[in-house]
Amino acid sequence: MTNLILTKTELSAAPAPAPRRRMSRRVRNERLALVSMLSPSVLLIGMFVLAPVVYAFYLSFTNTTLLGFDARNPKFVGLDNFTYLLTNDEFLSSLGRTGIFILLSAIIGQTVLGMLAALWLHKTWLRGKGLFGAAVLLPMVVPEVVASLAWASMLYSGPRGTVNQIIGVFGIGAVDWLQTMALFSIILVNIWRGIAFAMIMFQAAIEDVPQELIEAAHIDGASAWQVFRHVTLPLVRQPIFLFLLLTTITTAGIFGLVYFLTQGGPGDDTQLVALYIYDRAFQFSQIGLGSAASVILLILVLIFGLTYVRFAKIEV
Amino acid sequence: MSDTATRALVAPNHPVRLSKRPLTPAARINRVLIYVLVVIMGLFCLIPFAWLVFASVDENASSTLAWPEFTLQHYVELFTEAQTLQLLGNSLIIAVGATALTILLGTLGGYALSRFRFPFRRSFMFFILLIRVVPPTATIVPLYLIVVNLGLNDSLFGLVLVEAAALLPLTLWQMKIAVDSIPIELEEAAWVDGGTRFRAFRIIVFPLVGPTLGAAAMFAFMGAWGDFLTPLVLLQSPELYPLSIGLFYAFSEFNQVNWGVLTATAMIYMVPPTVLYLLVRKYLFKASLSGAVKG
Repeated sequence: MTNLILTKTELSAAPAPAPRRRMSRRVRNERLALVSMLSPSVLLIGMFVLAPVVYAFYLSFTNTTLLGFDARNPKFVGLDNFTYLLTNDEFLSSLGRTGIFILLSAIIGQTVLGMLAALWLHKTWLRGKGLFGAAVLLPMVVPEVVASLAWASMLYSGPRGTVNQIIGVFGIGAVDWLQTMALFSIILVNIWRGIAFAMIMFQAAIEDVPQELIEAAHIDGASAWQVFRHVTLPLVRQPIFLFLLLTTITTAGIFGLVYFLTQGGPGDDTQLVALYIYDRAFQFSQIGLGSAASVILLILVLIFGLTYVRFAKIEV
Repeated sequence: MSDTATRALVAPNHPVRLSKRPLTPAARINRVLIYVLVVIMGLFCLIPFAWLVFASVDENASSTLAWPEFTLQHYVELFTEAQTLQLLGNSLIIAVGATALTILLGTLGGYALSRFRFPFRRSFMFFILLIRVVPPTATIVPLYLIVVNLGLNDSLFGLVLVEAAALLPLTLWQMKIAVDSIPIELEEAAWVDGGTRFRAFRIIVFPLVGPTLGAAAMFAFMGAWGDFLTPLVLLQSPELYPLSIGLFYAFSEFNQVNWGVLTATAMIYMVPPTVLYLLVRKYLFKASLSGAVKG
């Protein structure tokens, strides 16, 4: 740590490096300040954020259980957990379901529809934008338990559920949403959670696109689609990929909403990877297996994340 | 899609018409359609809350959205019932504790990350950025084991530590960026006057990062207040449950759901994040994203 540089002025003065053995009191004080300021954060993040990630990898190679003999004497089982999971129908279908869930709710529902709404509503003459913005962002801000409770009532079975009341007006019969349309229902709720955020974020990005560029393209005879594709889209790609990144991570790990509304049911219809992990570890006490599922989820999310970052050309 | 519609869709910001020229019929229809869309979207976002509001003041609250027969009975029950107050108290302890800890450590750490040069500083910044890519669900199992091994499970103190650790990366970035924007010369002036680094921090840096500090605190509070998964896994004693867990069990474990009290509790639970959201609306986007991209 000899290159501990104190200030800009000292840097510009470029003093000869202090002899290694004896530090000046000043340097020692500075080093003490640095350590005492940063170490609590490093310690806390290391213990409760980094260590669990590393530990998950370790556990995934063992047959650790929560209870019983193996809890005390876990054995190293190599890739057994992974071969089990990757040939296990229940896990594979929960993985596939999560993929569908991300595709339909995060990518198409929130991002694409959010973008369409942003373009559509991006009007200079539109009044009450501020109020609209405040209202439509509420779904994202309230705790997920409250959102779930509200939707539990919306999707209530029989003609007395709110959604059924509304579609009843149009002469459509009542649907038992959380039973017969469970996956669709939670996809809808997840779209509801994030679409407004996407829309308002994209609107802000579109507003930053220089108007002259769009006009110039129009004058050159470009169609509306061509203007969007070749002028607007390239300029707003960073916010889009950023949003995709955040929403994919969130949606891949989604737990509270689904657990509250369906607990994975009926049957396995809404069992996403997150619920599979929770079930394995805390219901069936198979920590090793649950951790292996976590590791697979982690790797998939990382691959997705890195792909997005590449496409967005984000410099970190 | 017709050409007009496409044009409206993809190139919306046509030159602003300042003259009062009457709109063409097509443009008028277009406007009406857009207002209809705005209203539908607004309703889609707000209707689920309408039930919460109505049921919480409805004498015969049920799971159905209906015009209420007004009563404040449910709120009175809520505030006279020891159990709900306990849930509320626990939520406050967790959220306030985690926020205070995050802000304290995040400010100190953010300052250090901004002002000192040391090995692996950039790697550390990048690492805590990368950490955001990990879904909490993916590490909840080992996290549980670590907390159990430290003897911190089933305790509010342990939960506060875990929540603070989860919130810290974002706070560190926010505070680092805020300190970066303060010219070091201001601090140097204070040192020359004979002050210590800590004194300069207190009189120069602290007041200037005030707004960021406020916003960071609100985000931390909202994060800890709304969390469901971590308390669900780390707490076992019902007397330690926060509101999120309490609401979940009240909803799912009893055959007779008291809709009135349940919705009133949900309303109370919703108040802090809603108020904070209205206060930090301006910073919302920046803060949500600054954890993902530098600047």
